[in-house]
Amino acid sequence: MVTEEEIEKVAKLMKIEVDDHKEYVDKVHAMIDYFDILDSAGVEDEEITMQEIPITDLREDEYIPFEEKLIEKLNHYKGTYVRAPKMS
Amino acid sequence: MNLKISALDYVQEVQNGNISAEDFIASTLERIRSVDEKLHAFLNVNEDALNQAREIDKKIKSGQKVGACFGMPISIKDNMCIKNSKTTCASKMLENFVAPYDATVISKLKAKDAIFIGKVNMDEFAMGLTTEFSAYGPSKNPWNLDYTPGGSSGGSAVSVSAFECVASLGSDTGGSVRNPASFCSVVGLKPTYGLISRFGLISYANSIEQIGPVTRTVKDNAFLLNMIAGLDSNDNTTVDNKNEDYLSGIDSGIEGKKIGIIKEMIADGTDPAVLSATKEAISKLENLGATCEEVSLDMVKYSVAAYYTITATEAGSNLARYDNLRYGYDFSLEGYEFNSYIQKARKNFGPEVTRRMIIGGFVPSAGHAGKYFLKALKVKNKLTKEINEAFKKYDLLLSPTVPVLPFKLGEKIDDPVALFLVDINTVTANLTGKPAISVPFAISNGLPIGIQFLADSMNENMLLQAAYALEKTVKLPEVPI
Repeated sequence: MVTEEEIEKVAKLMKIEVDDHKEYVDKVHAMIDYFDILDSAGVEDEEITMQEIPITDLREDEYIPFEEKLIEKLNHYKGTYVRAPKMS
Repeated sequence: MNLKISALDYVQEVQNGNISAEDFIASTLERIRSVDEKLHAFLNVNEDALNQAREIDKKIKSGQKVGACFGMPISIKDNMCIKNSKTTCASKMLENFVAPYDATVISKLKAKDAIFIGKVNMDEFAMGLTTEFSAYGPSKNPWNLDYTPGGSSGGSAVSVSAFECVASLGSDTGGSVRNPASFCSVVGLKPTYGLISRFGLISYANSIEQIGPVTRTVKDNAFLLNMIAGLDSNDNTTVDNKNEDYLSGIDSGIEGKKIGIIKEMIADGTDPAVLSATKEAISKLENLGATCEEVSLDMVKYSVAAYYTITATEAGSNLARYDNLRYGYDFSLEGYEFNSYIQKARKNFGPEVTRRMIIGGFVPSAGHAGKYFLKALKVKNKLTKEINEAFKKYDLLLSPTVPVLPFKLGEKIDDPVALFLVDINTVTANLTGKPAISVPFAISNGLPIGIQFLADSMNENMLLQAAYALEKTVKLPEVPI
């Protein structure tokens, strides 16, 4: 069983403020509880396969110039740097 | 002007000089002005569409080469980038985001002289199946304005169903094209994973989502697929379809085909009207010479839990980029510490996106991944094995697209687990990468029911042939708006 404290802790790590308990913690709780059904799927011995793409199938690793200055589309930049708030 | 014509008829009419692109676009814009206040399919209408149509008419008159769309008005779900136009993902977070480039599907359609008539509504970041999670308010079902049109590509389905455009592009992560197609009585395709480039589609769950056409007829769907499918060097998950022509042989019929009816998708909880429509569809397919029998895919029972676990994990990662430094709304950095600044910015996400981000942080985290995320991947793997086994025996699989009828706006929004279960018949195609299509089949008490076919990977030709064969057996009433 998942606890409310665990949900609140993860929310904080995801930089999400949980001010409405019913809307976030209670509903997330119900959603995660539903996932318990996975326990009865009997897939413990199943493998996990991933899609693999050979490196030879990737496009050339070359610089493609962009016609506009993308940095100018940001809200906060200074020269060629992105501005961010100070870290405490 | 007859706005109800199919895409193929539109092309024919413009080619023969019976109608002009300008007149058709003018009437389409007029239609949007008159009905969209009620329907709210559009988030943005292309004010330059009329000029673009005039340019196409000029090209036609002067004998220049014109692309296969001939100025056809197509609506685009607002999670696909069109250069220099707003792409909001129906989120406050991207309220002012202007795309700096075209998605591959957009470049391909531009090259064919399509006109993007507007960007259409969706659940925020495509998370939802009713459009009620759009930050700009829900779309309404044109069959009954009190009902949800389905989602997340609700705006796509509404705009096509209500004759506000000829066709649309949606995206389907767990049924987001097929669900609204079923609820609005239009055709919606989720192609094989990799058949259509996702470059320029704002990511939600990369490993399973696909762009798909929404149209009024199966042939129109094949026509659109012809133009947008194929390899793209900007999306290395795309597969080579060898320029397959999906319209060719679409009327081959389904005589001799073996169809498996997925037992778990007509289980308890299926609405009696949906069940009865499914039985009728099976009987019609048998009359056309197909053999139908029940098949069991045991993992379907766990598919929704696996789907939400995997998509939330990928969403949690994809949405981490919304820190208000690169994307977001303009508020001063002064007075904020790094974490509290991002926290304040993320208050601009709606409730469903916020919930899925929390889940996306939780289910793959150390200590919980074994119980949730890794198990979900194992279910995905086993389900894929089961469906591959089924396709050794059957040419196609069938189910109702959605086990319930369209429901009222507000009816399920407060119960996320009840909403989960609406996805039960659609997520399998996404988790296994198989193509699936929803075909309008019946109207029950004024509400549409769609039938879903699934085919093996890269077998869109057979899928469309079956859909076309079924479509021809029904004559449905016209949308009452």
